[in-house]
Amino acid sequence: MMKKRIFLLMALLLVGAFLIPAYSQEDMEVVDDAGFSKKQRPSAVFRHDEHNEKAALEDCAECHHVYEDGNKLEDESSEDQSCSECHDEEGSGDMPGLRKAFHTNCKGCHLAQEKGPVMCGSCHVR
Amino acid sequence: MAEAARKEEKKIIDEGLDVGVQNLTEERIEKVITRVLKGESGARLKAYIETCVHCGLCSEACHYYLSHDKDPQYSPVGKVKQTLWKMLKAKGKVSAEFIKDASEIASTQCNVCKRCAMYCPFGIDIAYMMLTVRRICHLLGVTPLYIQDTAHSHAVTMNQMWVKDDEWIDTLQWQEEEAQAEIPTLRIPLEKEGADIMYSVIGPEPKFQAQLLYQAAVIMDVAGVDWTMPATPGWDNSDMAMYTGDNEIMGRVKRAHFETAARLRVNRIVMGECGHAFRSVYDMGNRWLGWRMPPIPIVHAIDFYYELIKNKKITITEKFKEPVTLHDPCNVIRGGGLAEKARFVINAICEQLIEMHPNREHNYCCCAGGGVINCGPPYKMTRMDGNRIKAEQLFAAKSRGAKILIAPCHNCHSGLEDINHHYGLGYEVKFISDILYDVIEKPS
Amino acid sequence: MHSIYAFVSGPLAWLAFIIFIGGCLYRLISLMVLVHRKEKFIYSYMSLKYSLRSIFRWSMPFATENMRRHPALTIVAFAFHICLILTPLFLLAHVTLVEESWNISWWTLPEGWAEMMSLIVILACGFFLMRRLVNPEVKYVTSASDYILLAIVAAPFITGILVYYQWFGYEILLILHILSGEIMLVAIPFTRLSHMLFAPLTRAYMGSEFGGVRHAKDW
Repeated sequence: MMKKRIFLLMALLLVGAFLIPAYSQEDMEVVDDAGFSKKQRPSAVFRHDEHNEKAALEDCAECHHVYEDGNKLEDESSEDQSCSECHDEEGSGDMPGLRKAFHTNCKGCHLAQEKGPVMCGSCHVR
Repeated sequence: MAEAARKEEKKIIDEGLDVGVQNLTEERIEKVITRVLKGESGARLKAYIETCVHCGLCSEACHYYLSHDKDPQYSPVGKVKQTLWKMLKAKGKVSAEFIKDASEIASTQCNVCKRCAMYCPFGIDIAYMMLTVRRICHLLGVTPLYIQDTAHSHAVTMNQMWVKDDEWIDTLQWQEEEAQAEIPTLRIPLEKEGADIMYSVIGPEPKFQAQLLYQAAVIMDVAGVDWTMPATPGWDNSDMAMYTGDNEIMGRVKRAHFETAARLRVNRIVMGECGHAFRSVYDMGNRWLGWRMPPIPIVHAIDFYYELIKNKKITITEKFKEPVTLHDPCNVIRGGGLAEKARFVINAICEQLIEMHPNREHNYCCCAGGGVINCGPPYKMTRMDGNRIKAEQLFAAKSRGAKILIAPCHNCHSGLEDINHHYGLGYEVKFISDILYDVIEKPS
Repeated sequence: MHSIYAFVSGPLAWLAFIIFIGGCLYRLISLMVLVHRKEKFIYSYMSLKYSLRSIFRWSMPFATENMRRHPALTIVAFAFHICLILTPLFLLAHVTLVEESWNISWWTLPEGWAEMMSLIVILACGFFLMRRLVNPEVKYVTSASDYILLAIVAAPFITGILVYYQWFGYEILLILHILSGEIMLVAIPFTRLSHMLFAPLTRAYMGSEFGGVRHAKDW
């Protein structure tokens, strides 16, 4: 009984080990994380066009938002800016810090849509 | 493997246990265990059992463990495993044979010296757990015969040795007369109400160590102490019921003792060189009676001698010449903090004190206390085999020049005499008062 | 995977923390009630001074006789407990999750440190396992439950370090990591891991008895 379980677990782990490299090949594009003074995790994998195609995203402001007085401006977008131009590392008042901004923007949407990666290492791939 | 080896060396015949178990039924065992573990015990036992992480770090505290080549069955936690853990796990459904073994382990393979409490990272009191096992065995009537007889003596006579009321007074008068040959004006004041001090001893002193009463009387007389001894039951401060788990008798005996002192309206009780008696009046008996600390201050002999020397009530004519070593008894050193005072006294009366190692709180137990020596001859070898480490410790002190072994506790004294003979150590074992009596200035 | 992740990191995490905190409170309060009901005298012996003296002494490596007797175990045990408590509390990934949920955050360990500390916990668990298997006095008092407890403690760190390295199946291991952490939290109040709660109390009581009544050291 015990042996059988261990065997199963090992098999599972092995399969997992081969799956990961297959997933992380191809041309990698990553989120621009130049705004962090100290990088603690690998840059988050993000292939812009492929993502938007898959997610059927038309509106740039979905991610590249502009906020004023805590309200999102409907007609404005900020794709000409770096995220870190507004979001500094600390964050202030209603404005989340850079790390939280990224996480809320990506993971928040993934959780709401129940699609896309939500676990740390799924984006910050080693 | 280890179990088998142990079974073979076990040839102890003890009627207290052998006959006791014949009267047991499974229902009675379960009922008593439940009564003690669920009813009488509380947060301490619960916390101790549930906090212990089975790390084994208490092992090296125990002289039985060290003396049996680190046999884990003799480690403190090993003894808990063989007794309490099994009772708890089986919810009291254990066999009569199990109770017999448990009684033997708790009563004769642990001196409740609490050295292990200093080695447990959590401060778990394993001696308390062993006493709990003894309590269960007592309620089941499975207690080693000799100590049970002693407890009966306490119950009947209020002293440990079946000393009759008139024998007690007789003995005191006899020793008074003896001492008057040396100091003609000497008295052993009986029933002197309002004296400063009531002097109390253990049953064996009048029974077969009357010279100790003599010595005490001389020291009291020379120091000019206002003292008295009671002529009624209550004079005995000892208490083996405390060690059999017979708490009710322990309470009766201690009540008689304190009430006697109260009747004599003394300020303090000074007691002879006894360790377990100190525990019973200072730690356990008073608590059973509801006193946080003793209702009448208790002064152990070591403390009293310290006071006499410090306050220059006695003068030392010439210090004792031969090099001595000191055995620190658990109940007054680890239990009463008298380590430095004992050294002060010994340095005041002896030329040279050669310390044994370890010492003070960390001293190895004598293997006689905790009621073990009182379990009698069937267990003499339990004590001898169980304390080889003590012999080694004493031998090391001897090799550094110690000739006299001072043991300021009756149980330690008797136990160490046995160790001394069994291992051929060649010490002379003495009480402090033996030396003190010799070296103080007496009226000529 | 989405729904499993959402479940283990959401409702299940809540449940684990509620049981952990509630369980700890329950155990402590019920112990106090027991003291109050049966052993009230304990209060009268408790001394803040001697409790702290004892706790302080036993919190210092090599400050007691027994610690000096077992230098390797002392070093391992201290390193183990320090890393065991600090690593999860100050791990970047954990604090990040807290920040996302409640907008509070605190100082975090550099990743390299956290990695080392997790490895220390795992190696220490290995050391404890060896002690149980090899040392006769430990082996004698070891039962299945002791191995299970060791596994419960080691599991979050083993899965944690695997997840950190992203070895083997990352996603399934992360789920297992969260689950094992939750199992450990729930186990603390209801197993002998409760020494986390009770050890300071037993230490304080013994410290008070030794200091206040026995006038002796308890180390």
